[in-house]
Amino acid sequence: MALKHATPLIDELEKGPWPSFVSDVKRMAPKNPMCEDWLGVMELSYKEKEGHWKHGGIVGVLGYGGGIIGRYCDRPDLFPAIAHFHTVRINQPASKYYTTEVLRKLCDLWEPRGSGLTNMHGSTGDIVLLGTTTDNLEPLFYELTHELGMDLGGSGSNMRTPEGCLGMSRCEWACINTQDIIYDLTMEYQDALHRPMFPYKFKFKSSGCPCDCVAAIARSDCSIIGTWRDKIRIDQESVRAYAAGELTPHAGAGGTEKRKFDINAEVINLCPTKCMEWDGKNLKIWDEDCTRCMHCIRVMPRALRPGVDTGATILVGAKAPILEGAQMSSVVIPFIKMEPPYEEFKEFVEKMWDWWMENGKNRERLGETIQRLTLREFLKATDLTPDPRMVNTPRFNPYIFYDPAEVPGGWEHDAAAFRQRHQA
Amino acid sequence: MAFDPNNLMQDRITDIGPPKYDKFFPPIVKDNFGKWKYHEILEPGVLVHVSETGAELYTVRIGAARLISIDLIREVCDLADKYCGGYLRWTTRNNIEFLVSDKSKLQPLIDDLRSRGNWFPIGGTGNSITNIVHTQGWAHCHTPAIDASGVVKAVMDELFEYFGSHKLPAQVRIALACCLNMCGAVHCSDIAILGVHRKPPFIEHDRVQNVCEIPLVVAACPTAAIKPKKVGELKSIEINNNRCMFCGNCYTMCPALPLADGEGDGIALWVGGKVSNVLSTPMFSKLAVPYIPNEPPRWPATVNTIKKIVEEYAAGGRRYERVGDWINRIGWERFFEKTGLQFQHEHIDDYRLAMMTWRTTTQFKF
Amino acid sequence: MSEDAKSRIMEFVKTQKKSKLYFNDLCKAVPEIKMMQAKKIVNELVNEGQLKYWSSGSTTMYMLPSEGDVDKEEKGMN
Repeated sequence: MALKHATPLIDELEKGPWPSFVSDVKRMAPKNPMCEDWLGVMELSYKEKEGHWKHGGIVGVLGYGGGIIGRYCDRPDLFPAIAHFHTVRINQPASKYYTTEVLRKLCDLWEPRGSGLTNMHGSTGDIVLLGTTTDNLEPLFYELTHELGMDLGGSGSNMRTPEGCLGMSRCEWACINTQDIIYDLTMEYQDALHRPMFPYKFKFKSSGCPCDCVAAIARSDCSIIGTWRDKIRIDQESVRAYAAGELTPHAGAGGTEKRKFDINAEVINLCPTKCMEWDGKNLKIWDEDCTRCMHCIRVMPRALRPGVDTGATILVGAKAPILEGAQMSSVVIPFIKMEPPYEEFKEFVEKMWDWWMENGKNRERLGETIQRLTLREFLKATDLTPDPRMVNTPRFNPYIFYDPAEVPGGWEHDAAAFRQRHQA
Repeated sequence: MAFDPNNLMQDRITDIGPPKYDKFFPPIVKDNFGKWKYHEILEPGVLVHVSETGAELYTVRIGAARLISIDLIREVCDLADKYCGGYLRWTTRNNIEFLVSDKSKLQPLIDDLRSRGNWFPIGGTGNSITNIVHTQGWAHCHTPAIDASGVVKAVMDELFEYFGSHKLPAQVRIALACCLNMCGAVHCSDIAILGVHRKPPFIEHDRVQNVCEIPLVVAACPTAAIKPKKVGELKSIEINNNRCMFCGNCYTMCPALPLADGEGDGIALWVGGKVSNVLSTPMFSKLAVPYIPNEPPRWPATVNTIKKIVEEYAAGGRRYERVGDWINRIGWERFFEKTGLQFQHEHIDDYRLAMMTWRTTTQFKF
Repeated sequence: MSEDAKSRIMEFVKTQKKSKLYFNDLCKAVPEIKMMQAKKIVNELVNEGQLKYWSSGSTTMYMLPSEGDVDKEEKGMN
């Protein structure tokens, strides 16, 4: 059956070895007029090199301040089926494990209520349903909560849907239970997720180790990254097996063949703190000098493992560039045990939020508020003590804001006494 | 009870949150949670995780578009039912992972995936170029400078040999954001593709007072570039174009301030960022190319520039060096020389703290 | 106390020039109340239908239910 709109430009995206979203949507188009018109508007954008969507302020279902983003096509005359094309964000199960049963149910639920197009997943982690009309929102939400036991994700000035790496479910390096931490925070702060109260968005992300597979350090206002503070566990026999070429180095990431492996060249000499030594028989690590960069563990995973006194480093303030420039998260808690019910961590979170809500300007991410009001103020508000692990270097400008409380007499001079010592 | 549009509060369920994370775990994951001992990549896209209990979980990773239909999800479900007992997951980079606990089904799954044309490419592990994370672009966003899905498709087609192989010095993470808001934060990627507007919004003075609320538009601008202004009898606004950073907030508040411009908009490329703490510390991506025109449907200049950067890195990078590590070792002057990219005014920072990026040593290469 | 706070917030909203207000604008109407507490009061106002949300997708604002959406041309479509 011929489709309604000719699409010669985007048809070019059906060619090539990578999966084609155009072929996928074209398959849908004969049975869903929204897909048909969506192909049409994409073709128009490809012709004109401009997008055709307008924003709408619709936010969600009754009582929710987030989870839905309004979208309207600016050419409803040409593409009436997508005149309204709102987004629905659904909070994904942490680290995105599914059964086919739940996915099929989700597809069945979405099919009659919108375009049948999705993002698996959005950048923050949500399941994204792309393209529906306002009248479908409440029934969709009802079915989602009743039949799937699922709920909407975050948008706007809410806590955004938290996400973690797959952690202990399938990774031997996970130092913390990222999935449980993320689930616990998501449940504890449901109100913040669904109803806005912050100056701007707030994101939690948790990675199980310093490899940081969910990019917590670049993308979350509060990054929870697994680490350890004791010794790397060494299986000397396996180290020797790597050295002898009996095991595939780097778990096969650099080529799956077994190969000659020079431990000195590939591990010892690359160690950023030079805290290792290999005498041909045994590997020695000076753990007190190790900064846990993971390289040796990644390259010899069957010989080396993170320690057992595990916890997390907490960093805050990452964000994309607008407005004050991109920031990565900065260390504020070098080490914290992360065990349920995470009370110590939550106390920190609530102090942090109180401070940000009181002091943050509208549309200011936490990192920007800290930049404007200083890390010192943040640390004071959250009852944290300065630690060299919080900085790359101490300051090198001399503009120190000394606390008047620590100067004898504060900011007051004894003018009379001064003039007794000095003539005017 | 069924949904009643006239009584939304009836039976209403709210704030139940997501399903608990372990609800959809395959039994082998439930049984071995926290007990995994090591993993190995058997071939590109195929992993085995071995538990202290001796259990082995096989994973087959495939690339997928981020924008996928329910038809595609159902097809993936058919495969997971047939080979994986109905268990699968998605990665943070839009890849799909089939979780195989019965080893005898591993090869049949791989063969089946390979028999289905270009729908399910296997790869994305180890020192590969895995899937590109990206934003909505022309598909669904109201302030994009470029498309997202189409650029990603064109780039991945060209770099496809690197998706299903491990021949690079380290993994290469590519990300795309269709405007500076970066709702998919791309600022710490090995290679970042960024949509850029080069013209501030224009003002439809005859529409502003009808469709916009002027105090809100003024307040929406993060750099305070917008002021109220009377234009003849019309209440309108004026924009200090020099302060515009192209975020589109004003357009969100006021549709009489369109920002998109087919000829003005385009792509900037950034290189050398990373998020992992492995070997070197996390790094921001730095500007490689300030502007490439939009060239739908296949963006040849963008694609070729990225390919050139990847090829130079593949040839010159040492084992374990990320793109940023490679550039730091050879120096930016060599990077521009090797890639043939032109170094221009735009590359020299002129925003806040710009001097932190200027060269303050006589150490450089001729 | 909560009823008093509610009426002060509503009075404040109704006397503003802007149709949409941020959460911390609303809090200015009840300066003695902690923001976490104010959030609960504002939630109630939304649940009672006295206020409604408006979202740019990235930030959220509050408005009176009688106000239209951002784009008055869209009014017919909402």
